[in-house]
Amino acid sequence: MAGNRNILEIRELVVQAGDKRIIDGLNLTIPCGEVHALLGPNGSGKTTLMMTIMGFSNYKIIGGRIVFKGRDITNLEINERARMGIAIARQRPPTIDGVRLRNIMAYQIDRGIGDAERIAAYVKKAGMEEFLDRSVNAGLSGGEIKRSELLQLLMMSPEFSMLDEPDSGVDSGALRDVRELINSLFTLDDNHPAKRKAGLIITHSGHIIDHMSLDKAHIMHRGRIGCSGHPNLMMDRISRFGYEGCDRCLGEVE
Amino acid sequence: MLKDNGFRETGGEKTEGSSILEREDVTELARSGVLMDSEERSGTVVFRNHTPVCFDAGNGDFELLPVTEALKRYDWVREKYYFYAVEEDMDEMTLRCARQENPVGFFLRVREGGRVTLPFQAAMYMTEENVEQIVHNIVVVEKGASLEIITGCLTRQDILRGSHLAVEEHYVGEGARLVTTMVHSWGPEVIVHPRTGTLVAEGGEYESRYISLKPAKEVVINPMVYLNGRGAVARDLTIVLSTEGTTVDTGGVITLIGKDTSAELLQRGVCIGGVLKQGGLLVGKERCRAHVDCAGMLLDESGAGSIVSVPGLEASHPDARMSHEASLGKISPEQVEYLMSRGMAEAEAITMLIRGFLGVDAAGLGEDLDRQIARIVDIAGHGEA
Repeated sequence: MAGNRNILEIRELVVQAGDKRIIDGLNLTIPCGEVHALLGPNGSGKTTLMMTIMGFSNYKIIGGRIVFKGRDITNLEINERARMGIAIARQRPPTIDGVRLRNIMAYQIDRGIGDAERIAAYVKKAGMEEFLDRSVNAGLSGGEIKRSELLQLLMMSPEFSMLDEPDSGVDSGALRDVRELINSLFTLDDNHPAKRKAGLIITHSGHIIDHMSLDKAHIMHRGRIGCSGHPNLMMDRISRFGYEGCDRCLGEVE
Repeated sequence: MLKDNGFRETGGEKTEGSSILEREDVTELARSGVLMDSEERSGTVVFRNHTPVCFDAGNGDFELLPVTEALKRYDWVREKYYFYAVEEDMDEMTLRCARQENPVGFFLRVREGGRVTLPFQAAMYMTEENVEQIVHNIVVVEKGASLEIITGCLTRQDILRGSHLAVEEHYVGEGARLVTTMVHSWGPEVIVHPRTGTLVAEGGEYESRYISLKPAKEVVINPMVYLNGRGAVARDLTIVLSTEGTTVDTGGVITLIGKDTSAELLQRGVCIGGVLKQGGLLVGKERCRAHVDCAGMLLDESGAGSIVSVPGLEASHPDARMSHEASLGKISPEQVEYLMSRGMAEAEAITMLIRGFLGVDAAGLGEDLDRQIARIVDIAGHGEA
């Protein structure tokens, strides 16, 4: 089946959060091995899309479907999706009182997802040793949250990673570390030179796009993918002209 | 391995290790942390109903006697240690205990400088219906000495009714250290009223952990700690699960009398039914630092369960620096989903959150206790007692 050429296919998705319709007839396809950028003004529904793909209950799917690796996951539990290989690094994750990063690490090792040695290396690489025994996300700076989230994804070795603004709030010194973590996340276990794992990254900066050589970018606009194209080209335009033009252009399309 | 500790007067039952305990009893005792014939313990006392069935001083560097024998042998036991940390006329319970002609209980003394490396263990075990168990235990840790005690108080699983009344007196000498871990596991209709008093001398350290796995119909626990000497320290951690049909009232009073004393009183309760009352009072009478923190998690959605949380402070010295904190809540779905997004099933996520809430991992309670807590979590996480 052709479905397996695409890791993710979303068709006519309609999502409501609270009583507000945030995503309204969205279509998106991400082929295996590709990492796409998700651009768009604040409030356009980017984070909602990621949270919906992961399956969080605050986001109600009222139409359309999500297919992952050829399987319809529209009604699947969050943990089942995670076990199929989907993971998310959130921008504003909740504090998990009393649960330490070390507990989550032990959990992933116990269920045989990651081996202890490899995970220990990631902890070091993320510079998170001193945070292992703190409550997850408690009292962390913006940059530390990014590293903590990326580290948790690395522990899971997901096939499809969603990163919600992984570089925002990270100071320039730490930016390189964060980028390296992101690189590791998309690197296949056999370090294949040409192939990589798939993903979706929300970003407002060109740094990630340059650095990651992303395959494609999409602009989200009023709950849909407004247009898609070459990431560098799109980022260049947006950084110069903003999203103001989108309203005009996409408004005409609508 | 058994020492003759004058236990013949107790009615002729043998006191040999676990030999007169059934396999089933040994298993039950292990649930509350009392491991028979284990190399990991320095000594063992088991009271079954009214009778001591094991009185084993093992290889420990301490003196172990029935409390009656200690009173006979040493005048100073009555003068210094008998109803001194707990007042005889404190209430009806203590009066009843004091009125016994031959009190049942043990006297344990670690002499000056003695360091008992393995924990000593004691079990107050009830195996008959409607037994009224009354015990009086006295623990003396002399200057510079150290001891850890694990006490399991429990009814055999098929026992429904009874009452347990225990007077526990602890004396922590200068620079000495005493760690007590008490695990309670009771039948549904049992009434439990322990009275614990601890005196801590200069530079002494007292750490108490109380864990209630299976609450009785009514449990009232209000241990009193007096930090008498300069620089004395107390840490008190109470972990309670309350279930349908039970009333659990866990308090605790730490009185800071010596200069530069410090205390921390932590209460953690998970309520899946019944009434859970958490207290904790700090009384600062000198320059001191102290903190009391009560936290409850209400997992009962039927509306029948409730938690009352009342931490308290009392100061009569301007340099007493004291604080309190209380919080009640449920498990947040957002936190559960966060952990689910890391691959955990809902039940696994809830278990991890309860463990985290109870502060089990951080408390460093050791493997045995960790297993006990895991049981609380298991029961709470699945909503059945």
